Amino acid sequence: MPIDQVSPLDSLTGALVDANDQLLALYDMAALRTDTLDEAESVDQILRTACRTLRTDEIVLVSENAGAGGEPDDQSFITSVQVEDPSGETAHVIARRSTTPFTTGDTKLLTAVANLAMRAKHTARMHAAAVEQAIVSHEHDIASTLAQRTLPAHRPDVPTATLFARSDPARSAGGDLFTFSQIGSTLHFVVGDVSGKGLPAAIMMSNVINAAKGCFTHHGEEGPVAVLDAIDSWVYDSLSDADLFVTLIVGQFDSGSQMLSLANAGHSPVHFVHDGTTRALPASRPPVGVLQGMACDRLDISVSATDRLVVASDGFPEQADESGEMFGEDRFQDELAVPQSNAGEFGEQLFELIEAFSGNAPQGDDRTLFVLDFEGAS
Amino acid sequence: MIITATPATDGPDAFLLSGRFDAHQAERFRTAVDPSLDVDQPHIDVDLSDVEFIDSTALAEIVRVMKRCREREGDLRLLAPSDPVRVILELTRLDAAFTIV
Repeated sequence: MPIDQVSPLDSLTGALVDANDQLLALYDMAALRTDTLDEAESVDQILRTACRTLRTDEIVLVSENAGAGGEPDDQSFITSVQVEDPSGETAHVIARRSTTPFTTGDTKLLTAVANLAMRAKHTARMHAAAVEQAIVSHEHDIASTLAQRTLPAHRPDVPTATLFARSDPARSAGGDLFTFSQIGSTLHFVVGDVSGKGLPAAIMMSNVINAAKGCFTHHGEEGPVAVLDAIDSWVYDSLSDADLFVTLIVGQFDSGSQMLSLANAGHSPVHFVHDGTTRALPASRPPVGVLQGMACDRLDISVSATDRLVVASDGFPEQADESGEMFGEDRFQDELAVPQSNAGEFGEQLFELIEAFSGNAPQGDDRTLFVLDFEGAS
Repeated sequence: MIITATPATDGPDAFLLSGRFDAHQAERFRTAVDPSLDVDQPHIDVDLSDVEFIDSTALAEIVRVMKRCREREGDLRLLAPSDPVRVILELTRLDAAFTIV
């Protein structure tokens, strides 16, 4: 046999070695862990492994909208397939080698490789989106918690009055708010409801609370209307920028004079209970953030022992039961006339009542209740 | 909620709302109404006669459109609010901020 001729046995052995190499390369490709890689790394790993399988010099993935690449040299053999990922994005996978032309089997294998690469690319993209979503969700939770913590955790000792205040947001954070300061003999307080729900309302809620605290100190002596106007000036622009408004009632109770003074900008329900009779205290101007420079009336009430002020948010009357029927303003007002022992028990019972009413219906809105029981002059 | 839009030929763009107008519908309202703001002196009528319920998110949407109209020397009018809507407008005193016909 001439020395430059290959024996059938050698040829067969070579083919078996090649087939074994391809099998190992296929095994490597199937075992590739691309779930922790980014989009480009996933595709690169698969295509590099595929080069061994197909014994090519190069395999590239070209997106449908990518620009044209360079021309191959004349000595190369080229084949390409078009594939589509699960989201419908199409791409071309192009293989080049300089040794032998591509067979039908090679093209089928290239198609399988291309599909694998596209699926890995899609999976990597979904994984990245899920990670991003988890980060945003985590940051949202932290921001919600921080905003909700601006609600006061402790209640002041109010001479000649007992105070109850509680706010249950419908989500992890809400736009309902209350805060108070005891300055000398006067309890300053605000109760409000930022329009909307969730984090934007909660961030605005914390802004309003901070503004209110500052205005209690700097404008408290001028009365509740001055405090309301000052809060309005402070937060109007940020409310407008966010397309939000806040219903707000500002109050002052002086334990020396037993005088309760209120300024109400669009907040409801607000009720005053005297001798078992409930009276609604209506707002005298629209909510803060709607229009600038709206005048507000001041309401002064000389309180006596057993009188009670109840300020709630619309999450109480607008709560629906399982059939969709709302609790309603009338039913809410009826509950206030029922004699209760003290502000704390009354408040907790009202929360329990609305919970029982809603049954399995979801909480429709944030719920806030502020109760001030007056004990009379000491 | 169903939004029926009537583009103006000679007068305000009109939007008839029917059903429940709440936070879930606010984006649809915005999409329907906002193109009418892209003019000088926008005038918009929102007919609330067939609205069964309105929440604070929806009210904030209407306030937003009203403010945008007035910034450009136009206005938004609320037409014939249904009883549930009228009660909310009165309780919040938003009736003092809007032009209600």
